[in-house]
Amino acid sequence: MSINNFSKVVIVAKDEWRYWFRSKLAMTVLAIGLVLTLASVIVTAITMMELSHSRHELQTSAEQSFVDQPDRHPHRMVHYGHYAFRTPSPLSTLDPGIDAYTGNSIFLEGHRQNSAMFADSRQGTALTKLGSLTPAFIVQTLAPLLLILIGYSAISRERESQTLSYLLSQGTSGATLIAGKGLALISVVGLILIPLTVSALFTLGSGEGLLAVASFVLGYALYLTVWVLLVLLASSVFSKNSGSFTTLAFVWILLCIVIPRVASTTASTASTAVPSAGKIETDFAVKAELRKLGDGHNTNDPAFKQFKQSLLTKYNVSSIDELPVNFRGLVASESEAKLTSVLNKFAQQRMQAELNQTKVSRYFGWVSPMVAIRSLSMIVVGTSIETHHRFLRETEQLRFDFVQGLNKVHVEKLSYQDDMNRNADTAATQKARVSAQNWQILQDFTFNVDTPEVRTQRSIPAFLQLVLWIAVLLGGIKFVGRRLL
Amino acid sequence: MSYLLKQLVREWRFLLRQKYLVVLLVCTFVMSGFAVYSGLSEVTQQKQTIERLKAADLTDLTNVQHKYDDAGSLAYYSFHLTYSSPSNLAFAALGERDIYPWKHRLNLLALEGQIYESDAQNAELAQAGKIDFVFVLSALAPLVIILLFHDLFASERTSGRHDLLATTAKSYFALWGARITVRFIAVIICLMLPFYVGAFISSSVLGDVGFITFICVIYLAFWTLLSVWWGKNASSAPRVASTLIGFWVLVAFIIPILGDLAINKVVHSPKGGDIVLTQREAVNGAWDIPKQITMDAFVANHPKWANYTDMQSEFEWKWYYAFQQVGDEKAAKLSHAYQDAARKKYSLAGFVSWLSPPLLLQRGLTRMAKTDAVAAFRYESQMRGFHKSLRTFYYPWLFVKGNPPKAALENMPSFSKTILNEQKKLSNVLAQPEQNLSAN
Repeated sequence: MSINNFSKVVIVAKDEWRYWFRSKLAMTVLAIGLVLTLASVIVTAITMMELSHSRHELQTSAEQSFVDQPDRHPHRMVHYGHYAFRTPSPLSTLDPGIDAYTGNSIFLEGHRQNSAMFADSRQGTALTKLGSLTPAFIVQTLAPLLLILIGYSAISRERESQTLSYLLSQGTSGATLIAGKGLALISVVGLILIPLTVSALFTLGSGEGLLAVASFVLGYALYLTVWVLLVLLASSVFSKNSGSFTTLAFVWILLCIVIPRVASTTASTASTAVPSAGKIETDFAVKAELRKLGDGHNTNDPAFKQFKQSLLTKYNVSSIDELPVNFRGLVASESEAKLTSVLNKFAQQRMQAELNQTKVSRYFGWVSPMVAIRSLSMIVVGTSIETHHRFLRETEQLRFDFVQGLNKVHVEKLSYQDDMNRNADTAATQKARVSAQNWQILQDFTFNVDTPEVRTQRSIPAFLQLVLWIAVLLGGIKFVGRRLL
Repeated sequence: MSYLLKQLVREWRFLLRQKYLVVLLVCTFVMSGFAVYSGLSEVTQQKQTIERLKAADLTDLTNVQHKYDDAGSLAYYSFHLTYSSPSNLAFAALGERDIYPWKHRLNLLALEGQIYESDAQNAELAQAGKIDFVFVLSALAPLVIILLFHDLFASERTSGRHDLLATTAKSYFALWGARITVRFIAVIICLMLPFYVGAFISSSVLGDVGFITFICVIYLAFWTLLSVWWGKNASSAPRVASTLIGFWVLVAFIIPILGDLAINKVVHSPKGGDIVLTQREAVNGAWDIPKQITMDAFVANHPKWANYTDMQSEFEWKWYYAFQQVGDEKAAKLSHAYQDAARKKYSLAGFVSWLSPPLLLQRGLTRMAKTDAVAAFRYESQMRGFHKSLRTFYYPWLFVKGNPPKAALENMPSFSKTILNEQKKLSNVLAQPEQNLSAN
């Protein structure tokens, strides 16, 4: 494009802004849009920071109370257990995603994998079923409506008031006119993105990577560009303002309100291809498999016969009483390891099933840019289902480590005889204890989301979806632009 | 009569010839159909899941009863399924069932440690929200109505026909009334037809269906009148529609969001984590303190067992379950506050929803379908009641009678029986109010 052409484009864009400044409707819509975006950025940032702070605190106090426990039988501590809390990622101040929909704390104990408890949505008012005051919702759903309201008549208005033929005959090409109107709308997009970008840049201070911040802002810029192009296309195609408006309103309802829900509904119910059994249901299967492993509390369980024999051979003794280590602890440790591998197998299956479901709903990004940006945003921010799965995996590792750490203490620091006598009388119970020093085996836990690189890589399909939308729309506008009259 | 009919037939033909109206109506029908279809399959899946769980639960329980004889181990290893079946109307209003759990397995251990476990569905899908009939009706139908009615007058004005039409029409109704009626009836049919099919398939109560129809007609009439009235004197259709859509955004999003913020500021709830932490400290602390302290605390609230607290060994099941209950009782205050906060938030939200017709409709219909938070609270209290009945069953064996004979296990409470009895009691109360009063 030559310089001359570009300055023409700028003139058209300036003129569009002049028109908006004179229109009460456009100014009201713009003001409301900006206020909402700003308010959502501030409110969500405060909420998420408070959440992050309180979960950090809970995590520290959980670790403290574990370490502060008195002298005990080590297996008591296995059942005393530990708590892990999911601290939200820095960028979640812009898109809390599924944070409120999954439990945010998990109780870790021996022999069991508990599910996460206390989802915030269960303490909610059910008022935010349709939408919430988060930047993600405002920009994904309401910003397109704003663009429609101020832009639907961009070209059709000129046509309806018969200034279009005049403009075109004066030497302004159709492409220049559309580009100018587009530039004006893009500048509105820029305005909307300012609070988002500023807030995103702030997260750099709390450890977020530049790549994630850049992907986040770029994703939203692409998404709103899709809407700018849609508005331009409709406005160029229709000869009347009302036709352009009705079509755009209809498209908005379809893409922003209907398809996202159709996507999630299809993924969870209509598609019997990927059903996901609940935890209770898989627990039955887990239990059946575990029964074969034997009960780790009961050293006489026939399942441990072979284990016992191999130990006797290893230490070259004839009975378990002669073993230099605590047999009960060894059984506990052995059975915990086996049990965990079974539990992990089933947990892995469940997560995979959930992931498959989610993928089905994400495919709808090809038909609705809103679905694309929704997944992109949650993935990049680190509030998608993958993050929750990561939390489950990391806490499982934490659980296994501290339980096996305690079992090691059980094996090495508690004599088998004392252990067997533990219920005889009060003195024997006292004797079957180990020092509280041993509780230091607990490792500090801080949950961190995947690295920015991993998250960005995961969001590539969603980026492609948006880019495809833009390419198709640009093609359409080019086609229409040549035949504007 | 025939004159009116003629007007309506004319308008009907007129409607069919306008492509964009037909597209809009077809889309409405497809949406409503999809919502009802997916609602039905979701409910079927939930019912099937409950049936499968019931069967598996029974097998598991039988296994445990074969394997163990003493009351303590039986109580430790026996899990009991509790569930909340979807109602006959649930297909139309899936409600909060993807957020609140509707299935649980409990044993005799401390309830506060178990009840917050949740077997939730895919969180990312729950966050996006599901499409169900109530959603189509409360959120989408107003938009369809706005698109259908906003340009009733404006379109005729811009094409310069308005004055001609107005002067040549025999009466106001003959022209506008007939047009409004035809469009309104067309929307109602497109929306409600799938619902009626769904209601028939899931054999909903006729009275409920009639009542829902009534509410729907009123709700849609409200939006129609608003759209028609607002567009009466306008000449720019998009202007009318933008204001109406703006109003819709206000009542569907903005007011509820503000209400939510306000309610969360006003109502304070203890952190859920604190409940389980309190309970855990109490339960685990019991191992480190003299048994008598636990037993005294237990007997204080359950004097019935006062004479049976002596212990022969350092570990006895009755002491074990006693400290579990003491743990529950220590956490009871927090737990009550937590439940009360949830209830209070939901009921306060009721006031807010009077300012937001879409939410009011959602609350109303999910209440009818028993899929709202209130139904979830009720399920929770059913679970609490059931756990209580487990304690009532086991304690005599644990404290006094020793190992239960296998025949006695037949009297073990089961959740299915418990809710059946509850329903019976309820219908008795309704059927014989006088007798009930005299019994009191």
